[in-house]
Amino acid sequence: MLRRYLRPISPSARREERIFYLFILPWLVGLVVFNAGPVLGMLGLSFTDWRISLDDLQFIGLDNYATLVADPIFWTSVGNTLYIVVGRVVFGTAFALFLAILLNQKVPGIPFFRAVYYLPTVTAGVAVALVWIWIFNPRLGILNYSLKQIGITGPPWIYSSQWVKPSLILMSMFAVGPNMIILLAGLQGVPKELYESAEIDGAGNWAKFRNVTLPMLSPVLFFVIIISVVSSFQNFTEIRVMTEGGPGESSNVLIWYLWENAFIFLQLGVAAAVAWIMFVILMALTGLQFRLGRRWVFYEV
Amino acid sequence: MNKQQLSRRAFLKLAAASSSGVALAGLGPLRNIAAAQDTVELTFGRHWEAAFRPRQAEYDEGFMERHPDIKIDITYNTWADHNNVVPAWAAAGTLPDIIYVHGSRATPWAHEGIIIDINDIVVADEEFNVDGMWEESVRLYRVNGRIHALPYDHGPVILGYNKDMFDAAGMDYPNGDWTMEDMAAAAVELTDSDMGVWGWDGQLNLGNSGGGFFLGAWGGASMNEDETQMTMDTPEVREALNHWYNLIHEAGAAPSGTESEAFPNQNPFRSGACAMGHIATWSTPSMRALANFEWDVAPTPMGADGTRSTGAFGSGYGITPTSDKPDVAWRYLREYLSLDGMIFMWSLSGRGSPARPEGLEAWLTSDPAPPNGQYFLEAMFDYAVTGPPFSSLAAAQVSNILGREAGLLRLGETSVDAAIAAITEEAQAALDAVAEDM
Repeated sequence: MLRRYLRPISPSARREERIFYLFILPWLVGLVVFNAGPVLGMLGLSFTDWRISLDDLQFIGLDNYATLVADPIFWTSVGNTLYIVVGRVVFGTAFALFLAILLNQKVPGIPFFRAVYYLPTVTAGVAVALVWIWIFNPRLGILNYSLKQIGITGPPWIYSSQWVKPSLILMSMFAVGPNMIILLAGLQGVPKELYESAEIDGAGNWAKFRNVTLPMLSPVLFFVIIISVVSSFQNFTEIRVMTEGGPGESSNVLIWYLWENAFIFLQLGVAAAVAWIMFVILMALTGLQFRLGRRWVFYEV
Repeated sequence: MNKQQLSRRAFLKLAAASSSGVALAGLGPLRNIAAAQDTVELTFGRHWEAAFRPRQAEYDEGFMERHPDIKIDITYNTWADHNNVVPAWAAAGTLPDIIYVHGSRATPWAHEGIIIDINDIVVADEEFNVDGMWEESVRLYRVNGRIHALPYDHGPVILGYNKDMFDAAGMDYPNGDWTMEDMAAAAVELTDSDMGVWGWDGQLNLGNSGGGFFLGAWGGASMNEDETQMTMDTPEVREALNHWYNLIHEAGAAPSGTESEAFPNQNPFRSGACAMGHIATWSTPSMRALANFEWDVAPTPMGADGTRSTGAFGSGYGITPTSDKPDVAWRYLREYLSLDGMIFMWSLSGRGSPARPEGLEAWLTSDPAPPNGQYFLEAMFDYAVTGPPFSSLAAAQVSNILGREAGLLRLGETSVDAAIAAITEEAQAALDAVAEDM
């Protein structure tokens, strides 16, 4: 499979290659020691009855996985996770792109607006979640207050099984700063000559966006989507601070289900199995995206 | 030369794919406790809020003066995190010598070896009067008949009421003759939801401290005494839940779960918007500090047949297996949890609910204690029962399920019958799953 990525190398390229690997060596060591190591360790532990102590672990084969398959709350959490991931990625990426396009305009005050839209990203997650608890407050929150001013009775937001997931997706729209910056950089890298050529061909704004901007931005969009999927799966702080998986199980996502099993129910072996299922789902989704990406991602040669 | 290589772009693409999964692995850094000192250092993991820490520091300074060979080092967790941090410490082998143990965690933590059996130490210490503690409180920490931790606090929940609202309505205060029906009728009369005023606070707690209050007056209970069978699917429990559900959703005499979120101080009764609520000894300091109205307490209302019931619960301290000086840890605990220690820490400070009757009596004279605080004492002596689940290894799961369904009932998102069915099915499965391990 790797063969398609292989190509001839020159001596100067080999020298550059050595420097490249030298520079990324610290990251690689960190990846192997602090990420890959625990991941593999977790795989082993997912086949044991691990609760707290690592002494006297019993190998129980696939029992932890069988427990998960038989638990309806696990499937609820899978469904909730996919719902939120799809919502966050689709709407979040679209909103980030929309903002990036706006912030790519040459109008006065743009640096200010760039900073404003990036600000939520540099604020601590817990603080942001606490602010959103108040924003979503059905009676006192600014959201329902604003809706009331235009004659709309706002929903109960995170205090309703029907609304909690859309609420969390809505909230995530305000943390698109990093994706916005990446897309903005991508937009600024699109050669102006392409737009000029398109204009000569009579292209309007929509045609230029569809036939120039999007194709040229597709590698960046691809990266943003992959990173967004990963980060959406790891969406823990909001659940911990704002909903604790509720009401009922309506915001019980996989990462919360994992945490509950590990630190509330002390079933660390089961939690390790959940972690590995998440790992497999993420790898599968990423693989699928790479496969689908061949159809729409355009790499400039 | 036709040597082949992985292009950087390809490398980065593969790395991005790999990192999407491996990023899951970070379960967080775990604390490493250094332990090199001249005197014996006794380490603690506890959770007091900032306002109470000076009292703890004052006690510890006095203790270290009396025991100059002991140095105290405390790690404070937040209340919300403590029960999750301790298992992480245990898994990493970095437990401090002494840890705070909520009553609901004693059995699972004893079972998992997070706290040690201190039965022999306690019984052998003739100067330590374990019999002077509420038996209901010590019961929380007996695992297979042996003491694994000792309580510092234990208290009941009874009826709290807003005197200003009763005065404004010209109504008599709640008293010992009240039944749950009397309470509901008064709640309806005191309600003016258009003005954001309700008669009852709408809380519905089916767990440790609440089950006895919310179900017991009807003769109901969430589970049997040895915590092997759920007992929710009974006419008594159904009648009790219908009473509370109707009070919220039919009579509108209590705010729903959604409406409750809007109150300041995160508590409808404490906010002053509700005339009555259930109140525990441990919540009296925050009532005194935050309630902007006159309030008092009354006995828990009786059921129609005269049954009076409520729940009681508390917390304690245990010694961990990683402690290399359990004898020194006991030197601390035997003083800290003595009558004198409790009076200093929890009675005179006004913190409330010390786990000894004499301590609770002493607390009644403190500022945060309400005028009729003796009803707490009366409840402990006469009718409060330590509420399940706490002695099953599935206690955490069952508590979660009870809390989840109670929350949905408050929101009006489930019916009483559906809640009972869900609790019975899921909680019973959780109890059955751990039956062999008990």
